[in-house]
Amino acid sequence: METYSISTSGKQNKFSIKRLFSQSFAYLILIFGTLVTLVPFIWVIFTSLKPASEIIRIPPTFFPETWTLDSYRTIFTDPHVPLALFYFNSFFVATFRVVITIFTSTLAGFIFAKYKFGGKDAIFGFILVQLMIPFQVVMIPGYLILVKLHLVDSLWGLIIPSMVDAFGIFLMRQFIEGIPSELMDAARIDGSSEFGIYWRIILPQLGSAIAALGIFTFMGTWNDYLWPLIVITTHEKRTLPLLLTWYNSQHGTRYDLTMAASILVLLPILIVYAIFQRRFVRGITMTGFK
Amino acid sequence: MKKMLYGIILLAIIAVLVACGGQDKTGTDQASDGAAPKEEKITLRLWSHQNAAFQAGNEAIIAKFMEQNPNIEVKYETFEYDLFIQTLQTSMPAGTEADVIEMFGTWVCSYADGGRLSLLPDNLMTYGQAQELFYQAPLDGYYCDNKLYGLPQEFNLENGGSLVNPALFEAHGVTYPPQWTDFASMIADAKKMTEFDGDIMTRAGFNYVTGDGLSFAFFAAILQQGGSYFADDGMHFNFDTPEARNALQLLVDMAQKDQIVDPVLFNDESNWVGDSFFAGNVAIGFVGSWAAGEGMINYPDMVFDYVEIPPYFGTENRFAADSGWGKVVSANTKYPEEAWKLAMFMTAEKENALLWNSNTSTIPALKSLVESPEELLAHAPFLKATFNLLPHGQFIGDLTDRDQIFYEILYPHILDALQGVVSVDEALMSINTEANAVVDSR
Amino acid sequence: MDNPTILAKQNKGKSKFSALERVKNKFVTRSLTPIMLYMLFFSLLPMVWAVVLGFFDYSPIRAGSSFLGLGGQNPFIGLDNYRAMFLDTQPARVFRSAVVNTFMFALLVLPINLAITLPLAVIIESIHERFKGFFRAIYFMPTISSSVAVAVMWGYIYHPQQGLLNSIIRAVGLTPPKAWLTDPSAVYFGIPLAMIAVIIAYIWQDFGYNLILFIAALQGIPREIQDAARVDGANAWNTFWRITLPLLKPTLLFVCVLTMLSSLQVFVIFDVMTNGGPRNQTTPLVMSIYQNAFRYQNMGWAAAISMVLFLIILFVTIVQFKVLRTDWEY
Repeated sequence: METYSISTSGKQNKFSIKRLFSQSFAYLILIFGTLVTLVPFIWVIFTSLKPASEIIRIPPTFFPETWTLDSYRTIFTDPHVPLALFYFNSFFVATFRVVITIFTSTLAGFIFAKYKFGGKDAIFGFILVQLMIPFQVVMIPGYLILVKLHLVDSLWGLIIPSMVDAFGIFLMRQFIEGIPSELMDAARIDGSSEFGIYWRIILPQLGSAIAALGIFTFMGTWNDYLWPLIVITTHEKRTLPLLLTWYNSQHGTRYDLTMAASILVLLPILIVYAIFQRRFVRGITMTGFK
Repeated sequence: MKKMLYGIILLAIIAVLVACGGQDKTGTDQASDGAAPKEEKITLRLWSHQNAAFQAGNEAIIAKFMEQNPNIEVKYETFEYDLFIQTLQTSMPAGTEADVIEMFGTWVCSYADGGRLSLLPDNLMTYGQAQELFYQAPLDGYYCDNKLYGLPQEFNLENGGSLVNPALFEAHGVTYPPQWTDFASMIADAKKMTEFDGDIMTRAGFNYVTGDGLSFAFFAAILQQGGSYFADDGMHFNFDTPEARNALQLLVDMAQKDQIVDPVLFNDESNWVGDSFFAGNVAIGFVGSWAAGEGMINYPDMVFDYVEIPPYFGTENRFAADSGWGKVVSANTKYPEEAWKLAMFMTAEKENALLWNSNTSTIPALKSLVESPEELLAHAPFLKATFNLLPHGQFIGDLTDRDQIFYEILYPHILDALQGVVSVDEALMSINTEANAVVDSR
Repeated sequence: MDNPTILAKQNKGKSKFSALERVKNKFVTRSLTPIMLYMLFFSLLPMVWAVVLGFFDYSPIRAGSSFLGLGGQNPFIGLDNYRAMFLDTQPARVFRSAVVNTFMFALLVLPINLAITLPLAVIIESIHERFKGFFRAIYFMPTISSSVAVAVMWGYIYHPQQGLLNSIIRAVGLTPPKAWLTDPSAVYFGIPLAMIAVIIAYIWQDFGYNLILFIAALQGIPREIQDAARVDGANAWNTFWRITLPLLKPTLLFVCVLTMLSSLQVFVIFDVMTNGGPRNQTTPLVMSIYQNAFRYQNMGWAAAISMVLFLIILFVTIVQFKVLRTDWEY
């Protein structure tokens, strides 16, 4: 008890030179880190605001000498870039995947956490093994399956193969195990069906876990590149990351345009992040998701 | 509540079915459209790689075609070059590829052998008839196992001509238009126009470091010495010859001794010749005339020209030329008749071929356009330089797998030699073994 | 009509129990069956299919003879794909350098990442509560960014003439490398410069994850323990080394597994920034798989390579889980 109180008070009053020095050193490092993190973003934003003539200058300017929105205007008025459509495609795929993944993960997680049945451990083991299979291995047959299902070049081809997430099931099982079973028994006495228990008792208690899984499924889908690259062929069905590579190759040396396009791809997720920043951080610490 | 669960599962299954069935359904709809009376519109899809000039050329012909065939709607899509190759491969097994595809001649047979392409019906045109109309070199890319799978639009001759930037000539006091008498005089001019900032090359005098450029220049330099890149059997390669060694040495010397290009800074991966030329960082850019056509559209304000360059060895130009872009029809098409109508319309009809070649600044595969070139040259003056060369071009021959030989064997090893990572002899040796391994593997 | 009711009443306790069990079982069966069938179809089937493809000379462009397109023009070739990995041919050389590149990348990313994120997490934890959130939010920004955008951005930053990085290096009076991404002869300590460039960009994008995991773990350590140590006369460094680090061990190992596994599977940043070059110095296995499967019409070979990647990942996972388990026990 005594040491504890001493230590807290000591900590509060410790304005020694040494502490001041180490604190300023800490801030110095952190500010340097902030610069390293932010300068690439700022450079890209500035580049997108320069006129084409300033881009090709050697050495390059950091701050635009002439500020212009020309690059954005060019992209918005380009008939080959129906931006709204690309945003829609990305949102469409991400929304479906998030909703379906949350549903299947919580339902299966609930069953593995709260029910006893034959072969449970074996089945759960089977799900865990899925975690170890890298995407690149199932990518090739996954494409061949889509061919058989006639889902190549369809947005559904981006959704249907990933409606069940082994990690999501694992995560939800962990969370649901922590919910007392007494609540379920009480609901049963009140005449609730088993699905009713899932829907009305379990789901409402999973708020933060669902948010975490949702955020990361959304992020993963939004930034997904390799799978859409293989599946989607029609220009109008492309998602945002594909638009960026397409645009990049179309305008190889026009860095004002490609950087503006990068900003347009980054912007929505950065806005979502700005709003839900705390949830993002809590989500990772909760799940260790990657 | 249970109902809800099943409802959701059902919904998911329905979603799957709708998504799967969706395509079949539209497919049958379209099929019945095809059988229906002519006033009902059918839609043909056309794919090509991405290049502003090619897009303009194709769009112009499509507009004409749709005007003359009001019952056919043509939907045109383009793909970045690398993605185009991947997309062809992923879409064909799935049957989602376009009805008509603009393909490079050297790719055609691998798709035809896999059964993915439709045969040109004899009643439309026989191989004999095609031979009358088209040059042999481009046509042969479309002729596999004695069957004709499409028609060419381009005679690919990425050689003998270069983009030139007059502003850089003037800035360095170099005579313009160039008065090159031999290859050495061109190198001398290029040297004057190469700029450095300290050790770093900021402008290249002569940029020839590309997959096509290095391969074609290497072959041409061998031919111009009277040599051959084929072994005696005509199937295998032989790069273990004095001619091949001289040819590669010349390419290496331009980079290392004359320093008219830095192959580390200028190559396919960074500062590709088309990009770096139009960004003003290259005085003479070694590339096919099609790059001039694309440049005219993408960089309308830039002043440039496309000129003949002297032979590497001796005084007589000799080149290897190969099949270029043309049109094929997918075996999966629901409307083979209309698809071939479009493909023939774009390739075999003189005025349309003219439209395409003049927009793209490519050498026509159609003989008649070259035999009376006035109209074409009026639209695409850049082609003048290549027309003078055309008689010196000879068919490159059967390279077994041209893209693999060019882009995975010749380009990387020659680039290694240029960058000084390997010696000329080492590079030749690797090229020789690997190219022959490709022949042996078939 | 009466009899069953009476019977049911007599067996009330037992039948109610079994009725509940039946309801539960029904629920489990009806909910889990579609999910498991789905997993069999979209996870297990592709895995098996990939194994099978590895024994064929297969390209989807060639129509095969059977339902799956195997056989006929796509013949069974046994272990030839695996044997070919050891031959002296161009594809085999590219494959072998891809194995080296993949390991080089993962083994460099891990220590560099840890060396940055762990101290940074400790520093963030040491500052005033008010600013913690700010720095954490900033550092996490690259992580949520699309990898394609990051790769396009960094490709421009590395541009030899117009890029930001070389301008900064020149501005401070140093000589920058001639070309970050395309110079095959620029090799430092056996590591190609282009690989270093990709690693820098990747770590820039990725360090936020581990940072936040470490911060959370540090917050989970009771203050009293550290304070007690300090009162006992230990300095900050000793406290960290003797008290904090051992307590962080589970997190540290978890972070190692995640970082390793994800860096073995990186694709986008390589594909967009270097496309594998120069001289395949930055071609990872994942890119070999993609290119052979979807560019070079060589899906059987690609499937065999993907099996190698799978074994590598399996091996790393098992080793690290073994280590994890022993350490969880303390």
